[in-house]
Amino acid sequence: MRQDFIKFPLHLIVHPFDSFWDMKYEGKGKIRVTLTILLLVVISMVLKNQFAGFLVNYNDPRHLNSIIQLLTIVFPFFLWCLSNWAITTLMDGEGKFKEIMMATGYALVPIVIIYTPMIIASRFMAEEETAFYYLMMSISSIWFVALLFVGIMTVHQYTVLKTVVTMLLTVVVMGIVIFLGTLVLSMLQQIIEFFVNIYRELTFRT
Amino acid sequence: MIAKKWLPAVMAASLLLCYAAPAPASAESTPYESYNYNYWEEAVPAPAAYVPDRTLSGKDLGVGDFLDPGDMVVAASGLIYIADSGNGRIICLDSDWKVNKVISGFDNKGKAEKFKNPSGLYVNQEGNLFIADTDNGRIVVLSPEGDLLRMIEQPKSDILPADFKFIPVKVTVDQAERVYVIAKGIFEGIMQFDKNGDFIGYVGTNKVKRDYTEYLWRLLSTKAQKAQMALFVPTEFSNIDVDSKGFLYATNIDPGSKEPIKRLNPSGEDVLKRFGYFDVKGDIRFRISIGPSKFTDIKVLANGMYSALDANQGKVFTYNDEGDLLYVYGGKGNQVGTFKIPAAIEFSGGNQLVLDRGKGNIVIFKPTRFGTSVNQAVGYHYNGEDTRAVPVWKEVLKLNSNYDIAYIGIGKSLLMDKSNKEALKYFKLGMDRDGYSVAFKRYRREVMQEHFGTFLTVIMILVSGWLAFRLLRFWRRKRLSGRSRQASQNLKEGKAHEAGFH
Repeated sequence: MRQDFIKFPLHLIVHPFDSFWDMKYEGKGKIRVTLTILLLVVISMVLKNQFAGFLVNYNDPRHLNSIIQLLTIVFPFFLWCLSNWAITTLMDGEGKFKEIMMATGYALVPIVIIYTPMIIASRFMAEEETAFYYLMMSISSIWFVALLFVGIMTVHQYTVLKTVVTMLLTVVVMGIVIFLGTLVLSMLQQIIEFFVNIYRELTFRT
Repeated sequence: MIAKKWLPAVMAASLLLCYAAPAPASAESTPYESYNYNYWEEAVPAPAAYVPDRTLSGKDLGVGDFLDPGDMVVAASGLIYIADSGNGRIICLDSDWKVNKVISGFDNKGKAEKFKNPSGLYVNQEGNLFIADTDNGRIVVLSPEGDLLRMIEQPKSDILPADFKFIPVKVTVDQAERVYVIAKGIFEGIMQFDKNGDFIGYVGTNKVKRDYTEYLWRLLSTKAQKAQMALFVPTEFSNIDVDSKGFLYATNIDPGSKEPIKRLNPSGEDVLKRFGYFDVKGDIRFRISIGPSKFTDIKVLANGMYSALDANQGKVFTYNDEGDLLYVYGGKGNQVGTFKIPAAIEFSGGNQLVLDRGKGNIVIFKPTRFGTSVNQAVGYHYNGEDTRAVPVWKEVLKLNSNYDIAYIGIGKSLLMDKSNKEALKYFKLGMDRDGYSVAFKRYRREVMQEHFGTFLTVIMILVSGWLAFRLLRFWRRKRLSGRSRQASQNLKEGKAHEAGFH
């Protein structure tokens, strides 16, 4: 338990190459840890929007909605995993879907461990010190991207260049998936409407 | 049983009290909706700051209808001058709205001369009247008695083109008796004349904005197409006023501009303070079909406040010296208090006057309790009397609890009084992050100074506790390991014994 949930993720964020290797070949990662991390990210985002200090919090409290917050993190996460899996199967990636999900999830750990203390610290900051808050926030994002990069590279056994290309293509695929999704939804809606109309016509005629 | 008896009595009494309560202070109805913008740039309803009191047309004054009146000015003496442009005359009213005199011409060395479409007026400290006699192409300066003092005609200068035609529209004079003129077809800025009427130069040129799509089009089009395109010329100024320190307030009608109001220092730089949440440009939110505010006149009031007249929607926007929008009133329409083509705004004895060119009348607006309180509080704040402003701001908050500037004003006063914790609360309510930061820093230092001893003690206790814990664990482990070593030794000895080596 402690090994899975605390020690390995913390080891991973400082030794990504070793740890992602272990994750792929030694079976060290767990999907339930990934989901827990994802939940923690959502919680820390919600906390940040709600409770970060007044000087750094520019959110309109009337428009905060934790459910939407949840969707804006969970949905892109799965979309990313799916798109990455889709594109890497075409590009000789060795990673399985589960591995992609774990790599992405474990890469989110720095966000959790930096956001929470910074939310507390930001409540004790004056305006000049908020620069530090923003610095830490950007560090957490950069760290996340770096870990994601290493993770994808290890999971698929890619070269650096190929990883960069794949990640960019993944973003493109995400766009395509969203486009197709909305297209299918609107078509489905029209088909349903069509059948409903036929039904109505028939009931009126008889 | 007793309760049942006196319950109806209480109910009746409360009902009576309810009806006996005085009518709300702003019971006067307005034909327009008053609002102000909150921090999130949403227009939020607000109590009216000014309500229309009455209108005055030329017929009411007994001088015949106004025809396209172009400008209006209030002198220091309280006299009100109206440029009745279409009729080519200047009408002078006293402060009781009685006609003092009608100036329809002047005596130029024995020759009687008339005005032709005079559309700009100004009265300086001595009461001399400056008239932009537009279609005659000259500025006429008359003494308070109506005698001709001098004229400024077609200026001659190397920087003016040979075919230049002087068509003055608006005129203003500063303390140093320099004359500022907005002339038709002049894009270089405001024309500046010295005491003797000689042309000095331009001040405050509007900058031309580069539009990148336009630039791209220009790159792709042929020479013939380019010739057909609109030229990039700076916009003209629409009106000017001068404040007590000699700074020029100028408005322009550049549609996309974020800075339609400028405060120009003597060297022509824009020094308007824009510390509010949003740009000093009238409406922040507007319908695309109506478009942004288009200012035709500006009037500097007391205590650094200024009112700008938006001809597009017939609204008057009043700002304080820091660029916070204080209140908005007016609108387009046919009722009393709404305008057709508003042309000029003035301030006289606490009332605001708006000259409507379309209807040919003057609307007199008088301040409500809310408006008076805001003006008063802004005045106190401007003069540094923040403690006196606080009760007035509280009064304002009673009338409009969404008034951010009042919260900030109270916060600033509390900050002066070193009650930092309360100041924090007010700054947060007013969404003033800069003020909040200052108050917070002081409050934090205060708390630290007060509790530094306790803070250190707690840290010391924690550190020593942790050290003690580590030591304890270390000893216990040592003892345990010592015992286990002994045990294993015993075991070994026992085993050896069992094996029968002894």
